[in-house]
Amino acid sequence: MQKRLYYILLLILTGVGFWALGVRFMDGMSVTHLTSYFSWGLWVVFYIFFIGLSAGSFLLSTMIYVFRMHALERVGRLSLLSALFSLIAGLMFVLIDLGHPERFWHTLVYRNMSSVLEWEIHFYLLYILLVLGELWLVMRDDLSAMATNDTGIRGTLGKILSLGYRTAPTQEGQAKQAHTVERWVKILGIIGIPMALGVHGGTGSIFAVQIAKPYWNSSIVPIIFIVSALVSGSALVTFLYSFFGEKDAEKPNVLASLSNLLIMFIGIDLILVFAEFLIGLYSGIPQDMQSLKAVVAGQYGPIFWIGQIGLAALLPIVLISLSHKNGSDLMKGLAGLSTVIGIIAVRINLILPAYVSPQIPSLEKAYVDSRLVYSYFPSSIEILTSIGIIALVVLLFSVAWELLPVVSNSGHQTSGRRTESYEINTKGPTHTA
Amino acid sequence: MSELIKEEGPQKGAGQQKVSRRNLLADLAKATVGLAAGVAVLSASAGQVEAESSTPQLAPSPAPLAKQIPQDQLILRMQRELYKALQKPAEQRQWAMVIDQRKCVGCSSCTVACKAENKLPPGVVYRPVIEEEYGTFPNVSRRFLPRPCMHCTNPPCIKVCPVAATYKQKDGIVVIDYDKCIGCRYCISACPYGARTFDWGEYYTEGTPELEKYELEPAFEYGEKRARVKHNSPINNTRKCHFCLHRLNEGMLPMCVTTCIGRATYFGDKSDPESLVSELIGSSRVMRLKEELGTEPNLYYLV
Ligand code: SF4
Ligand code: SF4
Repeated sequence: MQKRLYYILLLILTGVGFWALGVRFMDGMSVTHLTSYFSWGLWVVFYIFFIGLSAGSFLLSTMIYVFRMHALERVGRLSLLSALFSLIAGLMFVLIDLGHPERFWHTLVYRNMSSVLEWEIHFYLLYILLVLGELWLVMRDDLSAMATNDTGIRGTLGKILSLGYRTAPTQEGQAKQAHTVERWVKILGIIGIPMALGVHGGTGSIFAVQIAKPYWNSSIVPIIFIVSALVSGSALVTFLYSFFGEKDAEKPNVLASLSNLLIMFIGIDLILVFAEFLIGLYSGIPQDMQSLKAVVAGQYGPIFWIGQIGLAALLPIVLISLSHKNGSDLMKGLAGLSTVIGIIAVRINLILPAYVSPQIPSLEKAYVDSRLVYSYFPSSIEILTSIGIIALVVLLFSVAWELLPVVSNSGHQTSGRRTESYEINTKGPTHTA
Repeated sequence: MSELIKEEGPQKGAGQQKVSRRNLLADLAKATVGLAAGVAVLSASAGQVEAESSTPQLAPSPAPLAKQIPQDQLILRMQRELYKALQKPAEQRQWAMVIDQRKCVGCSSCTVACKAENKLPPGVVYRPVIEEEYGTFPNVSRRFLPRPCMHCTNPPCIKVCPVAATYKQKDGIVVIDYDKCIGCRYCISACPYGARTFDWGEYYTEGTPELEKYELEPAFEYGEKRARVKHNSPINNTRKCHFCLHRLNEGMLPMCVTTCIGRATYFGDKSDPESLVSELIGSSRVMRLKEELGTEPNLYYLV
């Protein structure tokens, strides 16, 4: 019943989103509240939010498949799957942000080697292939089992997605196959690390290279992008696993490791943000100052203090330290959720404040027009399309979760013969479960 | 230009003019008060510009002039230099613009002329005139800063375009290929001068009983005939000043130059050392916006 309600809700939201998307494509960019002086808004915020989630989840998965953090093995596929769907969401947001979305293919045909965005689009596409490949490898045994054992939609899905692969009947053959998987997943993971760093560090560089915007034009920006990606990725996986992962003896251990990682990333992120603001405010370059002031004490203040500091840092730290005392999985999940929502605030504050100050003083008074102002609040169509895309991706993710062997079977075969190696809780503190 | 002074010289007398000049230079604020005297003074300070009297070869004059006054000779000189530059291969000319801020009266007729020439819709403006105010009451003065595209030598906007839709022509003009541009607005953020605006697909007469026909008339930017209808480019593209490339190629000066009532905007080929703009760029009053960014604008101001 609950589940049905959940799906109905998602379908309604997706439907509304599709209507809004229809309006957006019919009427063009005039449906937004963007201006020529405030030229990127909510869609770009969500674009970097999802790219960050994706890169973060993927990097988390490499800790498992490359660095062999066995404590986290349980969530390996989950992180890959959320990396995949977040990336899809991110790409949808870039697409609808284009004035001429029908020309998206131009990015693959007309080259401009000096454009970070150009490089990024190639990165995203390669990266999506890599994630898909890795996901298939770690799931192929289960997919093969689905194909042979299940009937109905799961059976069909297994047949299609296994791409003809079947687990060997003999012990020996299985061991060999497991070995192959282990090796390839590791190789892909190793390729994936610079790739994921490139994906999100590069996304940060899209902004950092702009000399026109002192608020972005700093080499710490891409680093902050990467670290906050790690924060959001590990937060998302913590949340998903805690709320929807099957309950068993290993769950508390896995969650403890995850939440410790999360706290560590949040800590690093806080240091970087602190450094950025301190240096910026100390230097006092006027255009930069206006942006920083808007964040610390201006119109973006509430988003900063409640969202970025409250939801994305303090609350999860408090929740996780409390949960260590009473061993509550739920609290860790909540910490994850609060962080994920807080990261939206982080993304808002990474983009929007750069546009609050005129490039040349008084430029906004030189020619008065509603599209030539330095202020912005998203239009209803921008908000509805965003909700719609998010609902759609959550819907797809949920279906994939239900139909594919994401968490339930992952005790074995994720990386060969490591079934019993959970006893080492590399990062986690000792706790009572 | 020195003829400008001669024009006023006889009435005032040389000595009187000298006195007023010293005063004015000492106090900038006063200089902007007396416009007539101001014009005389600043013409004097840019006085290297040669006299126009000995110019018999004014052959391709675009229209017969009712009265030959010296300011019109400047425009004829620019016109002649334009023809000369167009004879050269494109890579040997470098278009540049000079704006004399002491001559600009802030009337915004360049802004309007540009809007009309390129049939710009709401929200799109290539050349706003920024008003700068100096001092505190009662010692206040104003200065005007028309801001077209700087046609930077190192344009940050071009570097970032993911599809190379915006690029620099051989003659130095930074253009946008409307059919290539995907409308990502990266270049808008990247321009340090706010010189790029987006075409949101809006009309002035939207929401009235009828879209007025003039809004649907084609413009001729880049020498292409484009009507703003449906989703056709340039709707949902980034747009910017292109020095009226379509006019240049037909031997006409940019609209803002032609229309400027204070004759404050000069245009020409910077690579020709004899051109008017080259002479003006040699003035000690010259400055460019945001030099520190290394964009090397081809748009010069005389302050
Ligand atoms: S002024 Fe702006 S739009 Fe023009 S060339 Fe320079 S960076 Fe590009
Ligand atoms: S808006 Fe057009 S010209 Fe500007 S960067 Fe994007 S594709 Fe290039």
